[in-house]
Amino acid sequence: MPRTLSNSLTVKKAMHRQVVHQPRLASLEQAIRYMIKYKIDEVLIVNELLEAIGVVTKTDLMGAYYADLPINTPLQEVMTLPLFCHMNDPLDLALDTMRTQRIHRLYVWDETPNLAVGVLGYTDIVGLIYSCCSNCDKSILKSKGGSGKTLADQFRNREVMTPGVYAYRVNDSLLKLIEDLAAHAFEALLIRGENDYPVGVVSKTDLIIAYRHGIPLESEAQTIMTQPVQTSDQNDFLANALRKMIFFDLQYLFIFKGSPSNIVGVLSLTDVAQFRSGTCRACASSRIKI
Amino acid sequence: MGMTARDVMDHEFYTLLPQTTIAEALRIFKKACEEQNQIVFGMVVANESGQLLGMVSMYDIFLLLRPKYAHIWGEMKDLDLSGIIDEAFRRTKSMQVGDIMNAGVLTITPDTHLLMIIDVMIRQRIRHLPVVEQGEMVGMVYLHKVFRHLLDRLA
Repeated sequence: MPRTLSNSLTVKKAMHRQVVHQPRLASLEQAIRYMIKYKIDEVLIVNELLEAIGVVTKTDLMGAYYADLPINTPLQEVMTLPLFCHMNDPLDLALDTMRTQRIHRLYVWDETPNLAVGVLGYTDIVGLIYSCCSNCDKSILKSKGGSGKTLADQFRNREVMTPGVYAYRVNDSLLKLIEDLAAHAFEALLIRGENDYPVGVVSKTDLIIAYRHGIPLESEAQTIMTQPVQTSDQNDFLANALRKMIFFDLQYLFIFKGSPSNIVGVLSLTDVAQFRSGTCRACASSRIKI
Repeated sequence: MGMTARDVMDHEFYTLLPQTTIAEALRIFKKACEEQNQIVFGMVVANESGQLLGMVSMYDIFLLLRPKYAHIWGEMKDLDLSGIIDEAFRRTKSMQVGDIMNAGVLTITPDTHLLMIIDVMIRQRIRHLPVVEQGEMVGMVYLHKVFRHLLDRLA
């Protein structure tokens, strides 16, 4: 196996140590509160010894909303099994597990299996790789004499974005949005208004908040959508898109061609960070695939 | 000098409704700090009938304002972060207190002994405890007031 950045680093280097957990009898509503407050996508469910016995994700909560489960339903009714990696595993191994299991994060154990000491997500990994690359002596930026610019200043959105986007109408029901979010494993949906102009976004977070607020599933998308839609021109520099995502605390930006009404793709923070940190010869072979 | 919650509790306390927005809650926090001439670290959340539902602390509000990817942008020194706090506030101000409150709040009675209060506060890492009598909230005990009370007794 060739030596790459991600197989020379261990999970311990990248993981974060804040593990948000709840007992099995805590309510769905409590999990929603924790997800909103801690800005996380899942809550670990633990027993009296703090051993992991399950995990509840935003997708699980969206399913509970769809199934019309009472908001005070215990988490054990909807939890699934959590997946773990070891603190000393190479990042490559953890990434393989995430890819094959189609999950965005793993819990980390150290001395006791099922006792989570940390969480590893894609953003932790790309943050670490970014940090390593920006300090790397073999970086192509340094070898070109150090122009002071970053890699992202040299690329355009169109080179990194995922082309195509699903769009919905302001009067589409939450029921329909949930069905499509689940079917296509999207994180968020674009909502169009009159003249097909993009007027909002509905994310899984918006939907679980709607669940907590008791908003009926038949309600229209416009009742809960987040506004305005944050967009970027496909010909704009990647660096500007990145700044916008960081500034607005977003995981994605919608990319337009010519006019903001003409959305042609989506750009995620993970894509951008991977691209920034994986575009020189020193680490190109370790670029993360999702 | 008494040694129970009754002897140190404040009878006046601020209450938030679960549907109070974060923007309004911040205004009430500010007003409370000014009126009490000290930092108010947390407030009680109760429904219209006064039933205790939870608490919201300064820490809960910090968590809500904290950027999701702070650990990444801390590395990106080329980012212009001016205005980012205003934007964080814009995103959160319409959320509700009930979306972030801590439910299942521990309570004590007016007769709870001060040493028991200290034990609960240390173990649970909390600075304030609501005092409930016959299902109704009658006061609030603050960590610093317990300390002050003990100083008067011991020092």
